[in-house]
Amino acid sequence: MIRPTKTLQDILSGEKLPALEHTFTLVDLVLYGAATWDWNRMHYDIEHTKRLNLRAPVIDGQEFGAFFARAALEWAGPRALVKRLAMRMKAMAFAGDTLRAEGEVERIRDGAVVLTQRLTCGERLVAEATTELRLP
Amino acid sequence: MALLSEELKAWIGREAHYPAREELGRASIRYFALALGDDNPLYVDDGYAREAGYPSLIAPPTLICETCQYAHRPPDEDGYIGHQWKLPVDNCRLIRAGNEYEFMRPVLPTDRISVTWTLEDIIERGRSGGGTQLFVSSVARFRDAAGELVAVNRETIVYQPLA
Repeated sequence: MIRPTKTLQDILSGEKLPALEHTFTLVDLVLYGAATWDWNRMHYDIEHTKRLNLRAPVIDGQEFGAFFARAALEWAGPRALVKRLAMRMKAMAFAGDTLRAEGEVERIRDGAVVLTQRLTCGERLVAEATTELRLP
Repeated sequence: MALLSEELKAWIGREAHYPAREELGRASIRYFALALGDDNPLYVDDGYAREAGYPSLIAPPTLICETCQYAHRPPDEDGYIGHQWKLPVDNCRLIRAGNEYEFMRPVLPTDRISVTWTLEDIIERGRSGGGTQLFVSSVARFRDAAGELVAVNRETIVYQPLA
């Protein structure tokens, strides 16, 4: 049996999403690079990133979009669809960093729920997103 | 000296098209979900996905915007094969400012997704530390085999001159 999906009637403005946290190891970065056909050395080559004066391989910023979408859909359920996801990068994040996605319901508009999401590494804001979901 | 030269302005409006080379495929979807540590059964289990109302398992929404599967060429010196404009701008660091995704429908493993990139605009703006930088806005439109739009990715990359 499938998990239930939220409906607009279930949702309150300001409602918080469960936090999603993950430590991005170098293996995770290699996996993501391979899975997205993106072999940019920034994301796994330690010597290369040292030459660029970076402290470690850089997490691909596009992966934050997948992480925001996952946090939103885990909260909303299997019949929810992401209609829009607009994210703004605020800081780089690196292999070994633990990132935490948090968010809340900003408003309900035209039959869709609009979420505000943040990705942080400790006190550091890494990215923000506005995510719109269509619910059944 | 202004970064936004007449030569650079002539790039605005350019397009690059990458036709689908194959179906997206179940392996690409499962690999992406594994890479994300995402155990959502919608991405691996047809029965579960059908029960939820989809014709088969589906791709995580952002997959087609993130993958370079559309490309078919050797990696460049940095290891990258995806789309890039290679603008005639020297000594700049490229920084991703943001992405805006729009999704028309869930993507299926049988979808053949073609991508067209358009360079929409280049704007020169001041930097807080002095000098200027370029904001390069592109849009990627993803279409299925019937030519129907399935997703749009608007992307802004900052070209920041190195000191």
